[in-house]
Amino acid sequence: MVLALKLPAAQSGTDPERIWTALANGRPNDVLRALRGGEGSRAEKLAWAAARIGGQPATDDHMRAAESVLAELARGDDELAAQAAYLRARIYQVHLSVPDYARAAELYGELARRWPGSHWSQQGLVKLAVLKLYVLPDSAAPDSDRLAPAEALLERISEPRLKRDLHLQIGQAGVVLHQPLARFLPHLVAADRIGGVSGTAREDLIVQIGVLSERSGLWSQAKDYFERYLAEYPTNVRAFTVKQKLDEATRRVAKGSGA
Amino acid sequence: MTRRAQRLSFVLLVVAYGLSSYWVFTRSAPVIHQRPVTLHLAHWQLERGPPEGIEAVIKRYEELNPRVRVVQLLVPGGTIYPQWLRSNLVGETGPDLLEWGSWVAGTKDIPARYFAPLTAALVRPNPYNLGTSQEKIPWQDTFHDKLLAPRRDSPDPGQIYAVNITETTLRLFCNVKLMREIVGKVVVPKTYDDLRKILAQVATYSRRTGKRLSAIAGSRDTARAIAEPLFASPLLGVNQRMDEGGTLYLYNRQMLAGYLEHKWSYRDPAVKAGLQLVREVTQAMKPGFLQLRRDDAMLEFLRGEALFFFYGTWDATSLRRLATFEIQAMKLPPVTPDDPEVGRHIVGLGGEGIGETSLAMYLNKNSPHPEEALDFLRFLTSVPGNQIFTDKSLWLPAVNGVVDPEEIRNFRNYQQGISFGQAPYDALGTEVTMNWDRYFFALLGDQGSADRYAAALDVVGPAAMRADLTAEMRNSLLLVKPQDPMIVGWSGLAGDRARERREELEAAQTLSEGLVFQMKLTLDATDPRRAE
Repeated sequence: MVLALKLPAAQSGTDPERIWTALANGRPNDVLRALRGGEGSRAEKLAWAAARIGGQPATDDHMRAAESVLAELARGDDELAAQAAYLRARIYQVHLSVPDYARAAELYGELARRWPGSHWSQQGLVKLAVLKLYVLPDSAAPDSDRLAPAEALLERISEPRLKRDLHLQIGQAGVVLHQPLARFLPHLVAADRIGGVSGTAREDLIVQIGVLSERSGLWSQAKDYFERYLAEYPTNVRAFTVKQKLDEATRRVAKGSGA
Repeated sequence: MTRRAQRLSFVLLVVAYGLSSYWVFTRSAPVIHQRPVTLHLAHWQLERGPPEGIEAVIKRYEELNPRVRVVQLLVPGGTIYPQWLRSNLVGETGPDLLEWGSWVAGTKDIPARYFAPLTAALVRPNPYNLGTSQEKIPWQDTFHDKLLAPRRDSPDPGQIYAVNITETTLRLFCNVKLMREIVGKVVVPKTYDDLRKILAQVATYSRRTGKRLSAIAGSRDTARAIAEPLFASPLLGVNQRMDEGGTLYLYNRQMLAGYLEHKWSYRDPAVKAGLQLVREVTQAMKPGFLQLRRDDAMLEFLRGEALFFFYGTWDATSLRRLATFEIQAMKLPPVTPDDPEVGRHIVGLGGEGIGETSLAMYLNKNSPHPEEALDFLRFLTSVPGNQIFTDKSLWLPAVNGVVDPEEIRNFRNYQQGISFGQAPYDALGTEVTMNWDRYFFALLGDQGSADRYAAALDVVGPAAMRADLTAEMRNSLLLVKPQDPMIVGWSGLAGDRARERREELEAAQTLSEGLVFQMKLTLDATDPRRAE
């Protein structure tokens, strides 16, 4: 569980609620103006570092300045320290002008070792798994199982919502990495079963499981997902094709072919 | 001054004061506007209809909300709106609500940078639907297509950034009088081959009578409009092959990646068949049409110099009000498997779906009145608000429960068939679109052909596709990066709403990051420098 971090208002004269709200609303420069120089409480330092990461101009110098504050905060032993360690890894993964994926992976690994139960550590494992899927495969061999390293991390994630996000990533990576259907389809199904996927991603997922089940000969599963799709999205442009596929799946199930 | 004159002056003063008071309290507008909140709403729909429709909605909204004044800003589209939009958004002087579309060149980064997601509000019922058939339905599900385009165009998978006001489709508007004159009766083409025959009849008629007449009113805009659905017809088989993920839908990034990975090219026989269809319809336009715009084509049609005008139903109100002849709106007929020219490439009938809602309104992230702006959007897209809009504009409504006016009811007679979403092969990104236009001459005239055009596009294709896929990747990253501080912000705030928003952002960020890595994978694997 993530605890709301309380900024001590008296220390800096700033309104903590306003600081967090400005960050949440994507106005990091307002935070930088309010918290000059990143001084103050640990929570204020965290807010300043986050704002420094998101503020414009986003230069590597600014990232280094944020990193040094985050590195100091990460020496602590509380939830805020874990969050700071997570943000530090994020700097290497996405915020530097030339990302350093290996360093990011190292920091995610360290975070997971120090605070295994923390939300930020769990979230870091999801990010680490995505790095392993695409840019840091454990083996460079073309026929290696690119999904296995990410699957291994899946076992260390206990938050269902984050497990779902990683299942979804492994499933989608399976498609683009041309893995066998049987390797990645169960991940997509698992993501759907955990629930909470929203928007277009949800719509894509339901139809995708239906079609990939059809391709796998899992006619009963295909039928279920096509029915669900038509119940939830009857007016979508895909509905015409899904109806045709549902007819075929229904026929196959009636004939008793496939699972 | 005499006593009498003094008395007269006093009386005159009293009378003047009385008249002035009467005038001030009964006739004049207040010197200072009393409404504390002013919202600005900008769009480029200058056609007949929408400005009047939106003004009528504003009038009713202001009656219901005396605190709020809404100002409609009409900004010409084309090249003006994108520049106006960007300069105002950068300067933080942008309107509270703005129209945006993913096809507006050079603005792909705008939503991620400047718009606020509406997802949280969309999952709750729209309070203005109280007492209507949509009363208890989540706002997002009250739209005919459940906001297909805003979902598709969202820079952030899982988030919805816009609501749509209307629903549009493309129609072939026919000059009935001219059709009778040329063909002898009104023929509604059932297949593309029927249309092909009518196009030939017009050419023959024009030659025989010496009248300056085109089968289809020509312009760069209308040519593109008619090209897209026709071009897509023989491509359904290619789309099916491309759909490795099984989503029955193809996003631009997949088409760009597919080209770089040699999964399709303009030289493919099916793609060339599509280009052949584009050649046929654009040959039916007057020479030089590429230099003209939509308004020129409309004038050509209104002057009686073209049998058909092919464009969106958004022009129907203008056509109806300006034409001196009877107009019949027809569907663009489907290309069928028995088509004598390209039938062998047709694997099924293409569909229009159920009509896609459009005229997307976005909320400016820096709006000083986000709650009021969101509230106005709710009213605009409620059953009563959208009914006012559609009655006054004669544009189709976007919202379920709104009654279609009789004049436009047949616009909803959609062609059913297979659709992979837009899957546009011609407008995948800025560079690809520019190449389509730049080399279009190679498709036209006696010297032009589908072969020549395809060859030209394939010469410049790899660099353009790479540039556009790189731009897609950068745009996704533009979204991913600011999410880190936002997640920190939400995690610092207490309450369920803050927790939900943080969780949504975390999930969306991971999804976007996955897509970024997928695009990077393709770009790295197909990098020409790597092959050297």
